[in-house]
Amino acid sequence: MSETMSQAHDQQTNWGVSRPDTENTVARIAVRGLDFYYGNNQALKHVDLDFPDRKVTGVIGPSGCGKSTLLRVLNRMYDLYPGQRATGEVLLDGENIIAPDVDVNALRARIGMVFQRPTPFPMTVYENIAFGVKLHERLSKAEMDDRVEWSLTRGALWGEVKDRLHASAMELSGGQQQRLCIARTIAVRPEVILLDEPTSALDPISTLKIEELIDELKNDFTIAIVTHNMQQAARCADRVAFFYLGEMIEVAPAVQMFTAPRERRTQEYITGRFG
Amino acid sequence: MRVGAPPGPARDQAVARVLGRRRYRLNRLIEALCVAATVLGVLLLASILLTLIWRGAAGLSVSVVTQSTRPPGSNGGLLNAIVGTLIQTGIGTLIGTPIGLLVGTYLAEYGGHSPMAHAVRFVSDVLLSAPSILIGLFIYQLVVQPFGGFSGIAGCLALAVIVIPIVVRTTEDMLQLITPTLREAAVALGAPKWKVIVLICYRAAKDGIITGVLLAIARIAGETAPLLFTSLGNLNWSISLTRPMASLPVTIYQYAGSAFDDWVELAWVGALLITMGVLATNILARVALRGRRTS
Amino acid sequence: MIFASLARGSGVFVLVLLGGLILSLLWGGLPAFHHFGLGFIGSTEWDPVQQVFGAAVSIYGTLITSMLALAFAVPVAFGIAFYLTELAPIFLRRPVGTAIELLAAVPSIIYGMWGFFVIVPIMSQYIQPFVIDNLDGIPLLEDLFAGPPFGTGILTASIILAIMVVPFIAATMRDVFDTVPAIFKESAYGLGCTTWEVMRSIVLPYTRVSVMGGIMLGLGRALGETMAVTFVIGNTDRISTSLFGPGNTIASIVALEFPESPAGSLKLSSLLALGFLLFVISFIVLAISRLLLKPRLAGRR
Repeated sequence: MSETMSQAHDQQTNWGVSRPDTENTVARIAVRGLDFYYGNNQALKHVDLDFPDRKVTGVIGPSGCGKSTLLRVLNRMYDLYPGQRATGEVLLDGENIIAPDVDVNALRARIGMVFQRPTPFPMTVYENIAFGVKLHERLSKAEMDDRVEWSLTRGALWGEVKDRLHASAMELSGGQQQRLCIARTIAVRPEVILLDEPTSALDPISTLKIEELIDELKNDFTIAIVTHNMQQAARCADRVAFFYLGEMIEVAPAVQMFTAPRERRTQEYITGRFG
Repeated sequence: MRVGAPPGPARDQAVARVLGRRRYRLNRLIEALCVAATVLGVLLLASILLTLIWRGAAGLSVSVVTQSTRPPGSNGGLLNAIVGTLIQTGIGTLIGTPIGLLVGTYLAEYGGHSPMAHAVRFVSDVLLSAPSILIGLFIYQLVVQPFGGFSGIAGCLALAVIVIPIVVRTTEDMLQLITPTLREAAVALGAPKWKVIVLICYRAAKDGIITGVLLAIARIAGETAPLLFTSLGNLNWSISLTRPMASLPVTIYQYAGSAFDDWVELAWVGALLITMGVLATNILARVALRGRRTS
Repeated sequence: MIFASLARGSGVFVLVLLGGLILSLLWGGLPAFHHFGLGFIGSTEWDPVQQVFGAAVSIYGTLITSMLALAFAVPVAFGIAFYLTELAPIFLRRPVGTAIELLAAVPSIIYGMWGFFVIVPIMSQYIQPFVIDNLDGIPLLEDLFAGPPFGTGILTASIILAIMVVPFIAATMRDVFDTVPAIFKESAYGLGCTTWEVMRSIVLPYTRVSVMGGIMLGLGRALGETMAVTFVIGNTDRISTSLFGPGNTIASIVALEFPESPAGSLKLSSLLALGFLLFVISFIVLAISRLLLKPRLAGRR
């Protein structure tokens, strides 16, 4: 890219606050040589990517590039569907979590996921939060009450639901339901939170609230966020990885990714040439 | 480039109008026939209900629910038949529903498209459409013959066999309606498969499954043929499961075909009672489902 | 996991259940098949005194009442389905639809009673004499509708069966008509088609196979119906040439003759053999209907 073009690009976009370089921190999850197949169709090709501890890593790319697929490898969600398989290594604290002998249910208590659409369980707000906790811990009623309050507070929802903990979760608004899902995920105290296009079904105000939430949560959790909204990636992520047709093309700090990407394809995606 | 007019005769309004009139006439005729068919259907329902009410109400009295069946001319009632139907319907549902629930769960959650699941689905459909008289014969061969006698429990078993495929179909359909994302959200928290099904899926599908069970109850309450070969019917008071047991449909069948006026009158009362019960259960199932669904 | 085994086990149980049903009918009917050979199916004899039994009269009755019932029911059901999906004003659709579904919920014995006490007198006092008088002298038709106007008989039974089956076929047709995407219908309307023309050229071809499946399902129902038929069919052991004449169906003869069939007797075995034959007929009809309805079911899943 020529000098004048990059200068013009900077002036035009003016995205985001400058963030410190995150290249030199510990990787909570390290993906090494990951291949993923839907049947005979290879959806991820030899991916190497680090998810630094307590930072937000954004994953962007056009539809079908494999970004959601990558996320769903990290918590072994693909186990549910025969014909989907992964080879390579995904290391959580040095242990390969896609090996066959891993306790998948325990894994999912360490790596949580929030989905594209809010998925409140058909129960009360309180029971929604308690559901995940009860799977892995035995708490007294007082302890559970505390955990529920803590989760909802950290999920930026406590104020709005504290008087209706025992009402059905289905009565909350869309934005509230998604924050409930985030609170539910936090309640089991995971180390990593995976967000798969968490605001794509929400209105702009709810979206903003959740982005603020992500900014707070990253102080305690490692976060990976898949988004098709580049402005969101620029706002929320510390590092961004760009995927195209199953391959990781480039990974860089957010500021650099959106102002001076190294690869031509990244540049084309960011300027809206395709996808 | 100008397209110009297409080849062929110029547009003739007169021809179009004639054709149009003919088409509209045909359409009117068919519409009228369809309305007639619908009116016929509604009138038939009205006729059945009115006949039941007119003839059945005439014989309604307290003794119907306080007296058991008695020989003609001695002012009997239908108590044993009513109680017998309640018992057999209740136990039949209690036996059939859990089995149907488990099979439906198997089909929706574990079997999927495997050959065995296809077989089970097919067999369930066969049982669903099988003439109920054959189910009666089956239980006769299985239970009545070897154990030497007609019994209430045989009747319950026959009804249970009818309930199973109904509940299977409803359970499978309702479980499949649940969005995969809801399931994945539970899995993502670390829940093992059986907890996802029992704690989340069953709760989400609860309304639909209950409707299915109610419809099954309404269906078996009115069944006559399977009971003819199993619980046989009993003109005396009996609530023992090991002896023949009366039921409303069988008693109606025996009374209606008889030559005694008071028995025929009681048959109409019984018919009114059973129809009201069945229709009420049906309507309850629909209304309950519609009312509780908020989303 | 115990739950998974429980679920799988119950699937196996259902398979065993059907297997048991088929076997028990076959086992019970074996003596009759053995005694009379395959001629049992074609024999029109039914003589408890001489202990000679044959299935032909019942099979004939079953088939003809069901076919006639379908012949009456299909056009009416179509009319209702057409009305409900296209013609009725919106506010009428739910109540009328519910009324039709309630018709389906009425127990079959009620149809039998209503048929016997309401339809049979109408047939015997008005319709049968009317038809007999007016067809007098026309060669084939007068034999088809001959006989004393008792009001009962094959035709009456077919009519009652038709009324029973109409709601099932109408409901299936309505569901299937609703699956046609609106844009197909709109493109026909856009060319100036009338409602009937849209139905004939778009909806029916699109749903033809599923409609057939629904009809077969109705046929299956009619074949096995006992109570609605037993009251009104007249119950005889002979095939009569007239539709006003009596007959029986497999279901009705089993219901009627069972009380007088001692356990282990040849008569009981013949009834069980008849039951087995009925199962085979219904099974074939059901299999065909499932094959036809499969695309619709596949779309649902």
